[in-house]
Amino acid sequence: MIANVANLTRWEWFKLRRRWMLWILLAFAILFAQLAVWGQFFSYQNLQTTGGELTVPASLQQQQGRPPRTVACNDLLSGDAARQPADLDAQVVAGLAAQCRQQAATLPARLARAYQGFTLPGSVSTALGIVQTLALILIAILTASAIGIDYGAGTLRSVLTQGVGRWPYLTAKIITLAVIAFLGLVGALATVAISSLIAGGIAGAPPGGATTATWSDAGLALWKAWSSTLPYLALTTFVTVFARSSAAGMAIGLGYYFAEQLIVALFSSLFSWFQNVADFFLVRNISGWVGGSGGLAGGALPDQTHALVVLAFYTLVLGGVAFWLFERRDVQGATGGG
Amino acid sequence: MSSQNGNVIETAELTKRYGEVVAVDHLTLRVPRGGVFGFLGPNGSGKTTTMGMLLGLVHPTSGEARIFGDPARHPATLRRVGAMVETPTFYPYLSGRANLRYFQGIGRRGKPADVDRLLDLVDLGKRADSKYSTYSLGMKQRLGIACALLGDPELVFLDEPTNGLDPAGVVEVRELIRDLGRGGRTVVLSSHLLAETELVCDNVAVLSRGKLIAQGSIEELLRQHDALRLRTTDDAKAQALLAGMRWVERVDQQDGALVVTAPQARAWEISRDLALRQVYVNELTPLHRSLEEFFMEITGTDPATGKERS
Repeated sequence: MIANVANLTRWEWFKLRRRWMLWILLAFAILFAQLAVWGQFFSYQNLQTTGGELTVPASLQQQQGRPPRTVACNDLLSGDAARQPADLDAQVVAGLAAQCRQQAATLPARLARAYQGFTLPGSVSTALGIVQTLALILIAILTASAIGIDYGAGTLRSVLTQGVGRWPYLTAKIITLAVIAFLGLVGALATVAISSLIAGGIAGAPPGGATTATWSDAGLALWKAWSSTLPYLALTTFVTVFARSSAAGMAIGLGYYFAEQLIVALFSSLFSWFQNVADFFLVRNISGWVGGSGGLAGGALPDQTHALVVLAFYTLVLGGVAFWLFERRDVQGATGGG
Repeated sequence: MSSQNGNVIETAELTKRYGEVVAVDHLTLRVPRGGVFGFLGPNGSGKTTTMGMLLGLVHPTSGEARIFGDPARHPATLRRVGAMVETPTFYPYLSGRANLRYFQGIGRRGKPADVDRLLDLVDLGKRADSKYSTYSLGMKQRLGIACALLGDPELVFLDEPTNGLDPAGVVEVRELIRDLGRGGRTVVLSSHLLAETELVCDNVAVLSRGKLIAQGSIEELLRQHDALRLRTTDDAKAQALLAGMRWVERVDQQDGALVVTAPQARAWEISRDLALRQVYVNELTPLHRSLEEFFMEITGTDPATGKERS
């Protein structure tokens, strides 16, 4: 059984690596990871150059009708008249300078936080903060496509007549997808590591202030990001097998992520008790598990233990039903698509 | 049931229902080891569903199916079987060669070198590295046959293998099937091209509306349905007299003559018995039926369209 699954996993990879889709999705993951790191780098550069920026609303500007603008604290606190904003009232400038002086106390800590966001090991968590959400969507697309093609092209019939067994075949697919999700995250993080070294080299020595990022935090963030894809993989597998369609798997996999947040936001604003129900929803618990934000819905997220139990339940139930359907149903001819 | 009796496939009361529709109705079938076995029937007669049940694709509602004496759907049993059911299905983004390597790999069937040998055998060697999605129907069919032969299986199911092939391709595949059926391998051939089937099959089973209505060697089945064309001095009286003979299966009027379904060895008895009743024979010709005529007679349908004969 194990040897059969291992052999099928190897051949599943043989098929998947020949699909453009896999490499395009990986390119997206790398792109977003890079955006996160370089975004943090430019934010650090900006903070260092400006000493922080303050936004001046339109109502405080002398010339009415102008859009809100920003002023740099380094300019305001420089004492150099040439660097003061000429188009603002002196009283407004004084107020802004006072605000800047207050913020200056926290500037070293902010700089340290920004610096560790684009240098190792902190950049791992920065990148995963963005890539983790994207990974759910990418894994939904890949899972629906990898499983759905056997229905769309009708290849499930050819596969099963080879005597491979239904359970081992679906198991091998899921293992391959889970491994690809992990390697995809590691691959994206490998490019992040290279970028972090480059960005760190450009930024120079670290600023003063306490740094808190550790390699164990980075490892934990990777584990959480990967494990959070598993219930989503199970959801997409279930829908694709149930509907015998990759299109349905993709539609639900992608749509559910946003639909759940909209529903929670809407109903939580109407009924206070709905927040308790929402604490058992899939995406909300994924956010709770990885320590993300509440998304559109906002509010307090479920704690990590609660989230882990709920996500394990979703993974087992959705995966179990998918296996049961896959084993039990008759295999039909090609349904098209795939 | 066991394979010790020389049958590679045995089914007992095999039944498949889809709601109220009975696709296969208490089918008890025996396929002897070796040679080419024709699995015939009009469209919708239950051939593909039966193959699906034998190959573990369709769950039977009741009954039993065994291959080599073992449960048909068992993966270990299926590894000794090659199959092309309905239209061939492969991954469109992989080449013909990559598809065969994949199916060889998952089923652990033979050596990598077999892939090239099979591609040459079905005349796909030159297009082996083209994507499957670019193949013509005939090329897809050839790849399906090659895939069914991976691992040199003891039993091969071929469902309409000549679909989409040009006349030369049909002849090639016919020869290939004939060769495959030699040397102990069994080929189960499902086709509505009965002239083709007659040329390659040793034994056949005929299904109609999910039921087995005839089974045996082609020679034997056709002999049972031999006929005689008869012209007499009084056809009306002759028809009445012939209908009363116990070994005459049926008597029909056709083109101003009587067509009598009866063993040809009894021709002299017909002539004698009619003469004893003052009906004299003007013409007595043996009629040899083709498999197609036999099929149409027992199923009442056209083999190509599956529609009932008028």
